[in-house]
Amino acid sequence: MDMLLTEDQLALAETVRDYLAGTHGPEVLRRLDADGNRDPAIWQGLVDMGLTGLLVPEAQGGLGMGLVDAALIAAECGRACLAEPLVDTAFVGVPWLLARGKTDQLSDVAAGRITLPLAHSINPWVADGDGAALTSVDPLRNLCASANDNADPHLLNLGALMSAAQMVGLADAMLHLAVEYAKIRTQFGQPIGAFQAIKHQLATCAVAIEFAKPVVWQAAQALQDGRASTAVHVSHAKVAATDAAMLTAETAIQVHGAMGYTYEVDLHFWMKRSWALAGAWGSRAFHLKRIDDAVLGGTLAIGPEHTFA
Amino acid sequence: MKLGFSAAEEDFRRECADWLNGQMAGEFKDIKGITTLTEKAERRKEWEQQLAAHKWSCIGWPEEWGGRAATLAQQVIFAEEYARAGVPGRVNHIGVELAGPTLLTFGTDEQKKRFLPGIAAGQTIFCQGFSEPGAGSDLASVRTKARLEGDEWVVNGQKIWTSLAHISDWIFVVSRSEEGSKGPKGLTFLMMEIDQPGIEIRPIKQINGDAEFNETFFTDAKCPADSLIGAVGEGWKIAMGLLAFERGVSTLGQQMGFRNELNDIIAAAKATGAANDPLIRQRIAKAEIGLQLMRYGAMRMLSNTDHSKIDGAALTYKIQWASWRRGLGELAMDIIGQAGEVAEGDAYEWSMLPNLFLYSRSDTIYGGTNQIQRNLIAERGLGMPREPRGDV
Repeated sequence: MDMLLTEDQLALAETVRDYLAGTHGPEVLRRLDADGNRDPAIWQGLVDMGLTGLLVPEAQGGLGMGLVDAALIAAECGRACLAEPLVDTAFVGVPWLLARGKTDQLSDVAAGRITLPLAHSINPWVADGDGAALTSVDPLRNLCASANDNADPHLLNLGALMSAAQMVGLADAMLHLAVEYAKIRTQFGQPIGAFQAIKHQLATCAVAIEFAKPVVWQAAQALQDGRASTAVHVSHAKVAATDAAMLTAETAIQVHGAMGYTYEVDLHFWMKRSWALAGAWGSRAFHLKRIDDAVLGGTLAIGPEHTFA
Repeated sequence: MKLGFSAAEEDFRRECADWLNGQMAGEFKDIKGITTLTEKAERRKEWEQQLAAHKWSCIGWPEEWGGRAATLAQQVIFAEEYARAGVPGRVNHIGVELAGPTLLTFGTDEQKKRFLPGIAAGQTIFCQGFSEPGAGSDLASVRTKARLEGDEWVVNGQKIWTSLAHISDWIFVVSRSEEGSKGPKGLTFLMMEIDQPGIEIRPIKQINGDAEFNETFFTDAKCPADSLIGAVGEGWKIAMGLLAFERGVSTLGQQMGFRNELNDIIAAAKATGAANDPLIRQRIAKAEIGLQLMRYGAMRMLSNTDHSKIDGAALTYKIQWASWRRGLGELAMDIIGQAGEVAEGDAYEWSMLPNLFLYSRSDTIYGGTNQIQRNLIAERGLGMPREPRGDV
């Protein structure tokens, strides 16, 4: 198999990154937090870029792309701490409906007229649904109670994969914030980034993030291809991305010192999204157990001939 | 070697427990179990006065100043029973544990008479004016200025992270009294009354939505000339002496509170079924081991009759408990899963376990970050060379 992303995939991700960097900076997060969390203009911008229709077949007015493309865009959504329900609707809901042959709503999704807040039995609550509202630790996350008797494993894998993809983007952004802060904050007469105590920790985060990324892409490809080992790949991605995001959150707040513990410093938005997603679509314990069961229970082939399968 | 408390100390433990449990079942039932420092501030002040009325407000102080001259072990026992009984944190912790011992060690007789009775009575609440926007880990780079004008000190500048300044009566301030001085030289330690036009307090909202600490602005704030502790220019020595109190006895009794937190987590693991998960079981086991390490480490420190050595041991203790508790918060969230994401009501307010997670993000930062602790352990404990420093 080929672990390289194509030029087109990278170019699309970069376009989305640039668009979100230009229109969805920290000042937007603060504005949304102060004023109702959602802004139809932001949603319309995503629709206009074609992102709501990324996975919708061309026959229904979409772009007909695949889960690896979607995972790359989900990572960009994480990087920008995007709060609109793009990932849940377009990258989790759409492929799930498609797999079940339900295409009647897809043109409405592509056109941005409806969202698909899908409940699952692993999640006690659903984001951006229409049930009774709850207060999430993530101030920009509209969480609500919802019937959640759907235990479909494919939906779970889609949700876990896209959470993992968002978390590598979130971790990248938190690392960037911490690195920039370490360059400008001076103590003992020099930038704190000069101290090994700081730079070694940030280097450790970079390692965790960069190793998590290909695992996420691999899981996206496995899910796209419907491989038998998909669940293990997805769980591996969710654990690796959660580890990277949790470590980077922990380190970024430490590098920011007490300022990082305040509500006024933007870092908390990214940390809180990471904390929220860490528990959504299966905790680390759940996914470790899936790996555990597969490895120890004999459902996963682990001989040398399967090492890079 | 005998690790453990004596029979007399266990008697003292029962006395503490009986009184504290009685209070929490009776007159002060309404504050039992509060986990933040800000909730029900007025009742918490009344609680300080209740402690004082029964001679429990400052048991480590000498008897002539309202204390019981309690031994280190007794102080730890009291702190343990305090936590076990579910009594909320002391809003005058800084007065009793920091300002009091500083005055007892460095204050004049007149200063002791002026301040100690009010602190002991739970009437005078203190806060601490050390950190500044440009002086965090590098505390010696404070820029708040103090100049003597006639019979008054006039103070200008800004402090930050002033816990509970908004309910405090007095603040002790490390300020630069020698024009042009740098680093630890030329600093003076002043006691200032907060209720005056020159001092403004602005709350800082924390990531958990609470506002325990503040920014404190000084604009020609004043205090009488004799408000300084120690001599002019000796502020660093006084501040370091005070930090030794902060890092010393007051943290050794914490394990009982940690025990409560871990017990709540174990109960949650049983309730959610996470306790059946071998990985969670392993992490709970590791948390239990970490707690026992702290417990026996603290007892070892207490058993050391040469308490001048407690400072070095306590330095390793801060990073140990702070890192352990940060991990405990993460374990709590992994156990309760998505429930940890959701507040109980509409307000951005958190129940015990989510709040433990959020609050414990600050444990490895305040009172000396893990990085500073590692520097101290390496440089003071292991005798390693100091990290190169730029011009200060």
